[in-house]
Amino acid sequence: MNPTDPILTVQAIHTFIGQFHILEGVSFTVPRGSISVLLGRNGAGKTTTLKSIMGMTPPREGTILFDGQNLIGKRPYHIAQLGIGYVPEHRAIFKELTVRENLEIAERKRGDLARRGDLIFDLFPDLKRLYTLLGGNLSGGQQQMLAIARALVPDNRLLLIDEPSEGLAPVIIEQLMSAIERLSAQTTILLVEQNFRMASKLAQLYTIIDDGRSAISGSMSDLVRDEALIQRYLGVA
Amino acid sequence: MLRQRTSWITIIILIAALLIFAAATSRNLGTFGITVLSGLFQAMLLFLVASGLSIIFGLMDVLNFAQGGFFMIGAYVAYDVHHPGGLIDMTGAIPNADLRFFLSILAAIVIGALLGAFLERGLLRPLYARPIFQLVLTFGVSLVLVEAVRFIWSTTPYSWTALFSVREGYFTLFEQQFSTYRLFVIGIGFFLIVAIALLLQRTRIGIIIRAGVEDSGMVEALGINVRAVFTLVFTFGCAVAAFGGAIAAPFLGASIGMSSSFLLSAIAVVVLGGLGSYVGTAAGSILVGLAIAVMANYSAEFLNLPVLASMTPMLLLVLVLLLRPSGLFGERR
Amino acid sequence: MKERAIPWVFLLILVSLIAFPFIVALLTGSSPLGVARGDRMIMRGESVRWQAVLIEIFLLGILAMSYNLIFGFTGVISFGHALFFGMGGYTIGLLLEFTDLDTTSALIFGLIGGLALAALLGLIIGLVSLRLQGVYFAIFTLAVAEMFFIFFGRLQLTRAEDGFAITDLPVWLDPTQSRLTFYYIVLAVFVLTFVFIRRLVNSPTGAVFKAIRENEDRASAIGYNPLTYKLIAITIGGVFAALAGILQVILNKKVGPELLSVTYTVDPLLMTIIGGIGTFTGPVIGASGLHLLDTALREQIVTIGSTTIRVADSWSLLLGLIFIAVVLIFPQGIVGTWMRWRARRVRLSSPPKGAENPVQADH
Repeated sequence: MNPTDPILTVQAIHTFIGQFHILEGVSFTVPRGSISVLLGRNGAGKTTTLKSIMGMTPPREGTILFDGQNLIGKRPYHIAQLGIGYVPEHRAIFKELTVRENLEIAERKRGDLARRGDLIFDLFPDLKRLYTLLGGNLSGGQQQMLAIARALVPDNRLLLIDEPSEGLAPVIIEQLMSAIERLSAQTTILLVEQNFRMASKLAQLYTIIDDGRSAISGSMSDLVRDEALIQRYLGVA
Repeated sequence: MLRQRTSWITIIILIAALLIFAAATSRNLGTFGITVLSGLFQAMLLFLVASGLSIIFGLMDVLNFAQGGFFMIGAYVAYDVHHPGGLIDMTGAIPNADLRFFLSILAAIVIGALLGAFLERGLLRPLYARPIFQLVLTFGVSLVLVEAVRFIWSTTPYSWTALFSVREGYFTLFEQQFSTYRLFVIGIGFFLIVAIALLLQRTRIGIIIRAGVEDSGMVEALGINVRAVFTLVFTFGCAVAAFGGAIAAPFLGASIGMSSSFLLSAIAVVVLGGLGSYVGTAAGSILVGLAIAVMANYSAEFLNLPVLASMTPMLLLVLVLLLRPSGLFGERR
Repeated sequence: MKERAIPWVFLLILVSLIAFPFIVALLTGSSPLGVARGDRMIMRGESVRWQAVLIEIFLLGILAMSYNLIFGFTGVISFGHALFFGMGGYTIGLLLEFTDLDTTSALIFGLIGGLALAALLGLIIGLVSLRLQGVYFAIFTLAVAEMFFIFFGRLQLTRAEDGFAITDLPVWLDPTQSRLTFYYIVLAVFVLTFVFIRRLVNSPTGAVFKAIRENEDRASAIGYNPLTYKLIAITIGGVFAALAGILQVILNKKVGPELLSVTYTVDPLLMTIIGGIGTFTGPVIGASGLHLLDTALREQIVTIGSTTIRVADSWSLLLGLIFIAVVLIFPQGIVGTWMRWRARRVRLSSPPKGAENPVQADH
């Protein structure tokens, strides 16, 4: 991990949804090989930031550089093909598709799944057992694992993971955390997480988004010691 | 799963009820046979319009009001190519009527596909952010198609006169003559129901379409150019509808009224089956097709009210919307 | 929203419309009453000819305004507007031709009955189907209207597809005898419709209509039942459409299933969109523009190379193409586009200050 070599640079983006100005200047960088986390209260704009990077809610102003390429103006499928995997909130897996089909659809080249199968089943052994089940019949935790696994099928250099712990039991969260930690050896991860305990254990770097603006960024080890800052922006202690 | 099972049971009960009603109101086995056969014939044609309508709506949230227009265009193109005179006269170049029939179907498919691709790329694509205008636009296109036909082929309905081998055949059952052509169309319909189902289940594009019906935004975020899939599906749906019109023409002829009557019956099918559900569309087609044939027979024989037969599609649609707007296989919204 | 005074432009237009038959008569040296032959009048001359054109514009304007109330101001999309128009026409026609009532009572009962029937239909359709979301409601209305169209197209009592002629009109109302009187009647109805809809939309009820159009969930969150208000909009819209249908039947002295055909849904839709959705003058401008274009082009014959095309034959096709072009290119319509352009100019020329001029303004 080298802070002078960012894989992703987000600079002063402004995003509108309908007539609402959701992001009013968000800037941060994600160093290659790191786990970074976006923190902030509900409705601060964390999810919209991820969607803006993916081009799903295209920003009107600002720049987003991924490995030196500007993502502004590119369609989501194009951005994904550059090597970004997106794991949306609420585990948006395809409920009417089997686990296998959920993974197959993510292939960008024929044979992706065969190539990455070992890694995926090593991280999430449960999925092998559930291979022929419909996505809708999985439990919440299994669906979350499938959603992350789906982003691992092609060679992605950056994973955007939105609220992986939402609504899951503590045991499952532990499993997920260890999986994400192991993943970071291979790829860069940008996380959105409400669960501060999880976020502080996993991430090395943080950016706080407050009311549509990036308020402060820094290293996680500094943040955990600064209770005033945590209290001010996150309302947890 | 459980809901699926109750849906199936409902469908089977409804079909059985229709058949019993048809049997009770038929003079003899012969007329019963005709009712069932023409019901299935109608069902297959409906399926060809409704399948596109349903998948297009599921995938891109566009209810294509022009789908019936494509069916009508298919009928006119096939008629024109097969018969002497008109825009294209092939009778000299290809005297073989069977070959010419094959060609006329092909022409209908190509025209349907071209018009469909143009409609999606040129007219609908700029409007994906404004769904009400898409609705208004496809409604407008359906009228333009009718007016274009009126302009090119005049308003007089055509009835198919040039014969070819499949069209001429008859077989006798219960002392009643049946046209082999009806069986031919029913066969093609069943073949397509299975073929499209396999396409959706077994191929990569099928997986993408089914995933897109659930969440097209997520499919795009996986790196798939969803808009290209939209164009493909829309084109395919319009081509299938035009194909339906083409194979219907030897029996039903070509007329402007086809557009709205097949559109409304197909919408009834799709709403009954549950918008976006393929299984529902297939089952709904059979149900609505049979219902139309049974009503036609009943209203002509017993009520002396042939007008009821032409009103059946709308009546069914209104009833379905009132009683079960989420459809048999649809999700409750 | 505050009630504004009627702008002087509207008054000026009203005065010129009142004077119109006489102005044309003066300019062309024809009589605004037509030509007398014995004790009958013959409708010949420029003045009466132009009166007929304007009467049609007023009719279509009423129809388009009624559609705009539902579609433009309340955001409910109906594909069955022709139902109200046609049923209004059939009601008065049936009472005039198929009952023993004397002409005056037939006219009175026809008018009241036609409007009441439309209100009833609007209420019933609304009650049973407004729960349905956008697309489904559009389908529902299309299916119901189509059902009535087919039914009356086959009904032997009303001579099925051919329809029947109105023979029993009093001389003072008969447009082939006293067109000037009829002109003023229709003008009065037209002006009243305009004023009524404008007042309604600017009233608190109208504010809820627009709130529903913008965001139905939010409107119901503030405590308004969208169903009630949509019901009001579709019922009132239906009544005005029936009024237009009644006037149309008197004008043409003919009742037939074409009154129920999809044409009378498409025309107001088209006129509203071309003129400007959710504006007051838009539907009227759309109706006048299209009808004048229709009148001007109808007799034209265009020759391209060796093929000659009579515009009258392809008028509907042309209309459809215009329709598609407008939806694609300027969906705000004439008035909407103009207001947007003016709003931008105002914003550019004056320093930005607090409240911004809303685009859906009072025009």
